[in-house]
Amino acid sequence: MIELFSVTKRYASGQVGLDNVTLKIDAGQMVFLTGPSGAGKSTFLKLIYCEEIPSSGSILVNGRNVSSLPRRKVPYLRRTIGVVFQSFRLIPRKTVFENICYLPRILGSSAQEQKELAYETLRRVSLSHRMNASPHQLSGGEQQRVAIARALMNQPEILLADEPTGNLDPELSEEILRLFLEINGQGTTVIFATHDRDLIQRVGRRVLTLEAGQLTGDQKLPGELNDAIGPGQGTMGPGQGTIDLEEEA
Amino acid sequence: MTFSQAISYFLREACSSLVRSWKVSLVAISTITMSLFLTGVFLLVSSNLRQLISGWEEESKLVLYLETAATVEDQKRLINKLEQAEWASSVNLVTATEGAERFRQAFPSLGELLEGWGDGAIPSSLEIVLNRQALPAQADFDSWLESLRHDTAVSTIDDDRDWLTQLEAVVFAVEALGMVLGLVLLVTAVFTISSVIRLTAYLYRDEIAVMRLVGATEFFIRGPFYMEGVLQGLVGGGCALVTLAGGHYLLLRQSADSPLSLLADKFLGPAELLSLLALGGLAGFIGAITSLRRESLGQTAEVDPEWEQEG
Ligand SMILES: Nc1ncnc2c1ncn2[C@@H]1O[C@H](COP(=O)(O)OP(=O)(O)OP(=O)(O)O)[C@@H](O)[C@H]1O
Ligand SMILES: [Mg+2]
Repeated sequence: MIELFSVTKRYASGQVGLDNVTLKIDAGQMVFLTGPSGAGKSTFLKLIYCEEIPSSGSILVNGRNVSSLPRRKVPYLRRTIGVVFQSFRLIPRKTVFENICYLPRILGSSAQEQKELAYETLRRVSLSHRMNASPHQLSGGEQQRVAIARALMNQPEILLADEPTGNLDPELSEEILRLFLEINGQGTTVIFATHDRDLIQRVGRRVLTLEAGQLTGDQKLPGELNDAIGPGQGTMGPGQGTIDLEEEA
Repeated sequence: MTFSQAISYFLREACSSLVRSWKVSLVAISTITMSLFLTGVFLLVSSNLRQLISGWEEESKLVLYLETAATVEDQKRLINKLEQAEWASSVNLVTATEGAERFRQAFPSLGELLEGWGDGAIPSSLEIVLNRQALPAQADFDSWLESLRHDTAVSTIDDDRDWLTQLEAVVFAVEALGMVLGLVLLVTAVFTISSVIRLTAYLYRDEIAVMRLVGATEFFIRGPFYMEGVLQGLVGGGCALVTLAGGHYLLLRQSADSPLSLLADKFLGPAELLSLLALGGLAGFIGAITSLRRESLGQTAEVDPEWEQEG
């Protein structure tokens, strides 16, 4: 569960990233975050994974107040949050396996455990056959799936995505979106920032709209894909939202 | 992850980084090698010199050359006076004949010279072996010497310690010079290692950002870099020791009887060798710490410009 209480983020430069935002996202929800460029979408996500500290207000992530989290505790919070970006942030010098195994390696998993975990996780993104490939041998969509796998390695409770489809063509975008819906269906809270209104329209779900740092909209859209599943997805618990998506595809 | 697992993880990461960027590592390692080699040379020379000096000091004597006119009574009186001083562990009379004999043995080729000079060429003398433990305060000792010097039967006094003291001053100067030079070079080496590690961290900044993103602690992010610094220092120190040992061996083989080999006769002891090695490791560690000191904590996105082509 994520809760924001009157959160404002003012950057050192004076730019306002987020302006007095209060909202609550339940565990297992899938939420879209939208708004024009510079509206504060990335800022919103950065505040959740503690890349930035709010100027005022407080943020609770799974009951922990992260706005006053000491720096040295941030890594432990991040292990429970997966983050995916528009630019996939894969390391070109490393294989897919190495790219997704940074955390397990540090946590002291054996080589065998790492292999098994990597295989299982890559299977969730349908890439288990590319374990030893280099990122540059993969298509953009595949690279993003590797980045998603990396985010999923530690079974995070929350998955944040900052314009994950920004570099992908519409068809691949939808494929990636389905993957997120599927992951959400397995119980992970997902916050998906995008300005692709079209994509959101097709899926529905809860949509938060930011403008100049302010929360100007919080609606539940029905959506085409959504209609096939049933109403009320916005606040649904884990495992219910996306059952039919696989068949839809 | 246990501590030993962490250390072995750091070692693996550091080794692979050393191998990957071996050219810059080589630069860092060779500066360490140079500075520690030089420090080692100075250490070697000064410790040998000290040993020589302390050997000479053990054997150092006070020699009273007597006037040729000195009578047997004079000799007895002086011997008596000398034996009263508790720091004179032995007093030995060397007669003129014995003195001449010694001279002939020491300088056989100059024997004829002695014949030419005749009987009075070498005066009789009193040799006093000093007991270093029993020596009085310098002032007391000096006034005692002075009283001997004024004795009518004494012509001159030869105190070995005079030139030994001067030699000690020379050794001290050599040591100071070595220390300053070694320190300057070591500081240079620390800076080199620091730059090399900063460069490495810059090259891997994308990886560092990803590690922060997935929840790696600073301990795990920085550990490999610290380890890399320590390894560079240790390898550099090891190279310095090998060079030192090799140079020492060659020197002794090539010129065993030259005075030069006297200065490098005995090799450094294990404690000194270990200290040099540890100094290398420490220099590397300090280099690594200074290189990452300004590295911002916790930021995930010290990001490659390529990554941020959003929109
Ligand atoms: N590190 C920063 N320093 C200063 N100002 C910043 C920083 N990051 C963001 N901002 C400012 O904060 C505001 C919100 O930026 P943010 O990146 O959150 O927007 P966004 O909704 O993600 O935009 P986009 O759709 O272009 O990614 C903008 O005005 C931006 O200029
Ligand atoms: Mg953004």
